[in-house]
Amino acid sequence: MLEVKDLEVRYGRLTALRGINLSIKEGEIACIVGPNGAGKSTTLLSISSVLNPTAGTITFDGQQINGTRPEDVARMGVSQVPEGRHIFTSLTVEENLQVGTATRRDKPEMKRDYERVIETFPILGERRRQSAGKLSGGEQQMLAIGRALMTSPRFMTIDEPSLGLAPKIVDRVYEVLIDLRKSRGLTLLIVEQSSERALKAADTLYVLRNGAIQLAGKASELQDGKAVHKAYFGFSDDHEGEVMI
Amino acid sequence: MAFALQVLMNALSLGSLYALAALGIGLLFGVLKLINFAHGDFITVGAYALIVPSAATQATLMIGDFHPLILIPCIVAVVVILALIAEFLVFRPLRSASPATLMIGSFALGFVIQNILIMIYGGRPKAVGIWSDLSLGVELMEGVEVPKLQLIIIGVTLVLMVVLVLFLTKTKYGVHMRAAAEDFRMARMLGIEANRVIMLAVAISGMLAAAVSMLFVVQTGILEFRMGVSLMLFAFIATVIGGMGSLVGAVVGGFAVGAVSILLQTFLPSEMRVFRDVFVFAIVIFILLVRPQGLVMSRASRERV
Repeated sequence: MLEVKDLEVRYGRLTALRGINLSIKEGEIACIVGPNGAGKSTTLLSISSVLNPTAGTITFDGQQINGTRPEDVARMGVSQVPEGRHIFTSLTVEENLQVGTATRRDKPEMKRDYERVIETFPILGERRRQSAGKLSGGEQQMLAIGRALMTSPRFMTIDEPSLGLAPKIVDRVYEVLIDLRKSRGLTLLIVEQSSERALKAADTLYVLRNGAIQLAGKASELQDGKAVHKAYFGFSDDHEGEVMI
Repeated sequence: MAFALQVLMNALSLGSLYALAALGIGLLFGVLKLINFAHGDFITVGAYALIVPSAATQATLMIGDFHPLILIPCIVAVVVILALIAEFLVFRPLRSASPATLMIGSFALGFVIQNILIMIYGGRPKAVGIWSDLSLGVELMEGVEVPKLQLIIIGVTLVLMVVLVLFLTKTKYGVHMRAAAEDFRMARMLGIEANRVIMLAVAISGMLAAAVSMLFVVQTGILEFRMGVSLMLFAFIATVIGGMGSLVGAVVGGFAVGAVSILLQTFLPSEMRVFRDVFVFAIVIFILLVRPQGLVMSRASRERV
């Protein structure tokens, strides 16, 4: 469904991504994990066409994404829950969800999607007339996911959904994400810093470090963790004892 | 009591003009992060559009002679078209540049407009009398007479503000515009068309400028190629002390600047009145020292992390 080929992104002299490849199949949950500054957000922003890659291509269902505008990508059915959630704090909860329908004309479906979002996150229904800036961090994350769902996406990317949230709320967020695949057939690309939870949810795992994919594979085959650890940190577990303090 | 009411009406009507101009600036700043210094010149063009384009010292009314129901849409159309041309030729090519570059671009545009006005109409001020019966007084209560025009300025401003608020909160495009003003990139990622939202903001800003054109020229009765510049300056100050990025702040700031000007005009000793603006700006500096974020904090700056 989404093919990323030899993607390279530079910020001035800094190279954030040095030719990465991703291949995400319809209906799967893919996870990119990697330390801070690995290029995870850069990858997602390129997929949403917010950043222009210096080289490589991104295609969604055969349509080229790189070179288009962010609003075109949204129209193709690709939605993003960005890092920091980017809720419109001066708008009400309901208005935030309404903005998600900007590209749509199918009124009855929009209404049904709205009801489905409220059903998934009842708290958003209770607070729909409140200013979104007054929501707690967890509620804002739910609103960001709900808003992305209102675009009626076929493919959704989520940047660090667990960032700054209590473990209990993170569990709830993942529950919802896994359920979205089941109930809507949504394809997901989740970015996380910690590999533990991502491994549990993902079908496919990519470890990104220094702007390059260090490891890619089926999550079920990477459960022992050693290879992931090496890819993530750049050295394997066995060397830990040698680290001088 | 009667005197106080008179001063209040003066302050409200001057404040209204500043508030309308400040709203036009604030709206564009919201979506484009552009401080449009050409806004004052948009206002000037709206006023000049009333007369026949010629360098003659005596102004001959053209659109200004039409029935108000035709005149008003004509002037609005002229200013909106001018604003859209500015968007296509100046603001759009500079959109990805820094806000400072955009602002300087708007300065340059302002000078170009002023010089085109001089080329067409000549540089001398011209008298133009439209709707002069509006300057007649209306007795509000015993001993309090105010020009009809003041009531109209205040009324028009109130109506336009209510319409703008309804547009921004009750319509789809208004909600999109507020979303884009808060977080343009996120709005685009959700599918909001950047060009459409900006063009709409530019057009509304033009409509507000046209309203100021007509109210202002009826009040002063004079056309001058820099007439919008000082209005723009005061409106800009209004948006700054009101809090950049907040439309409520722009209105509050507009009325505050209007009130301060009128109070100084009224209570300063007559030999110091010429220096009125010095005192206005001193107060502005004081406000900015005490509340650098402006009187009304924009909601975006209160964002939770």
